[in-house]
Amino acid sequence: MDGIARAEVTSRTAVNKRKPLFSLLLPYLLIAPTMILVFIFTVYPSINSVVDSLYDPARNARDPSEFVGLQNYADLFDPDHYIGSAFVQIIGQTLIFAVATVVISVPLALLFALLLNRKVPLQGVWRFSLFYPSLLPLIGAASIWAFLFSDTVGLINTVLRSFGGRGVNWLGDPGFVLWAVIAVNVWKQAGYYMIFYLAGLQNIPRDFYEAASLDGANSWQQFRFLTLPLLRRTTLFILVVAFTFAFQTVEQLQVLGMGGPGDRSNLLLYYIFQTIPERRNWGYVNAMTVVLVLILLVFTVSNFVLFERGREDE
Amino acid sequence: MNNSRRAEIGITLLTSVLGLLWLLPLVFAVLMSLRPQAEGLTVGSVFFASRITFDNYAAALSVAPWAWHAITSVIFVFGTLAVQLVTVTMAGYAFARMKFFGRGALLFIMLLQIMIPTAVLLVQNFATIRELGLFDTRWALMLPYWASAFGVLLLRQTFREVPRELEEAARIDGANLLQILFRVYIPLSVPAYVAFALVSISSHWNEFMWPFIVTRSEEVRPLTVGLNKLYSTTEVGALYGQLLAGTVIVIAPLVIMFMLFQRRFIQSFASSGIK
Repeated sequence: MDGIARAEVTSRTAVNKRKPLFSLLLPYLLIAPTMILVFIFTVYPSINSVVDSLYDPARNARDPSEFVGLQNYADLFDPDHYIGSAFVQIIGQTLIFAVATVVISVPLALLFALLLNRKVPLQGVWRFSLFYPSLLPLIGAASIWAFLFSDTVGLINTVLRSFGGRGVNWLGDPGFVLWAVIAVNVWKQAGYYMIFYLAGLQNIPRDFYEAASLDGANSWQQFRFLTLPLLRRTTLFILVVAFTFAFQTVEQLQVLGMGGPGDRSNLLLYYIFQTIPERRNWGYVNAMTVVLVLILLVFTVSNFVLFERGREDE
Repeated sequence: MNNSRRAEIGITLLTSVLGLLWLLPLVFAVLMSLRPQAEGLTVGSVFFASRITFDNYAAALSVAPWAWHAITSVIFVFGTLAVQLVTVTMAGYAFARMKFFGRGALLFIMLLQIMIPTAVLLVQNFATIRELGLFDTRWALMLPYWASAFGVLLLRQTFREVPRELEEAARIDGANLLQILFRVYIPLSVPAYVAFALVSISSHWNEFMWPFIVTRSEEVRPLTVGLNKLYSTTEVGALYGQLLAGTVIVIAPLVIMFMLFQRRFIQSFASSGIK
């Protein structure tokens, strides 16, 4: 006790002497760990991706890498080049995947929230069943769906066949596979967006509805002219989150056919992931990363602008 | 009256159908994992086949060193969270309550982490981990996540709502910054910390791609990577019972935790979204 007191006195005088400098530096010290890590793992790699994407990678230690300008990007978009043969198609699929996932799962999330916002029998059970998918690892969710989708022993085809149907090779058919992947993500994500809507719904005062029903508004009108406009900000927020998510959630592909058949279900980030191990692709992999970051920024910034405008309207 | 009664029944029905539909994958994952490997869905009862067996679990457990994966997952998740709580509190306080040169610019740079997720910068970060000599260690899993822009934002928001008078009163009593944080800010921000912890735990428990890339040895790979191995080894014979047994093992901790603390979970996730 005595030692601590003495230490405190000395440290206090020491602090007093250094006080101006120390208190000037304190905020920087407090943010330093965060900022250093953000610099190492976000800022530096972003800049480095751009730089490396302009070089033809060194094949081995003696062979220096060579500045090639935008050639790597040109190759990516060249359908006759080995790396470009699938790239444009994969970008298209990535956009379809992102838009479809968001456009299906967000309205579904609103429906879930509206249903669960009332008293229904077994409410706790349904809340669990709609939300738990968002707590599963993508790769675990995909393992379950790999079984449901399986051509020979899968649940979906077993049901189809028991009704005399033919069954579909969901993960092997180029026409279905991307939609199968989208279905898994909708199933997994809708419950997560639902909780934001639930929170939003709880912020709407009950009196609003009482007033509306006194004015003779039916349920549909109450939803259309009261609930929906009041949830506008929630919706915009969910859209921002959902789009950022949609470009990152690719791990399910590892189990749902690895982007195949013939890259027909491949998504940009997963394609990057697959291309990393080959040294000769280093320039391409970085160029692809830059393209992905640009797509992400376009979506984030436009959503943000939309969000801010939505704010001003209120 | 009759109309609204009918609507009530319709809503209950719709909720139940959607709820059951969403529950179905989990139910069948569990049922399949308990079904003898040789019996497909058409053998015996749809639910239980001819008998219940734990063979699939035994088989799944023998494919990968699950104990190591579990240890790694726990270290990864809680090692990340523990450091995050410190860094996020420090930066959250500085951005909420201190004035300093360059604050706006630094905040913007930090926000880049939200706009450009670490997962997207996989390639370069993988190279950085190699250069730091951390490849194939548990440090590699955690290091990039020790800073969380999302957490800093959440706490900055929460700390700003703490009345300044409380801090000043503590300061007059001679409290230093550490004491102010522990006596004033942290106790008043417990819900935000819980929200942050739940989001952090569930996202890292479920992470696959980053751990898969920066590790090679089984002992330092988390459960999700083990699950992937299980998938690649069972693929050939479509041994789904085994794969699903492994899946159930990996997802059980979070799903059970959610069952027990449903309300808390949902509230936390909802408040985590309020920027």
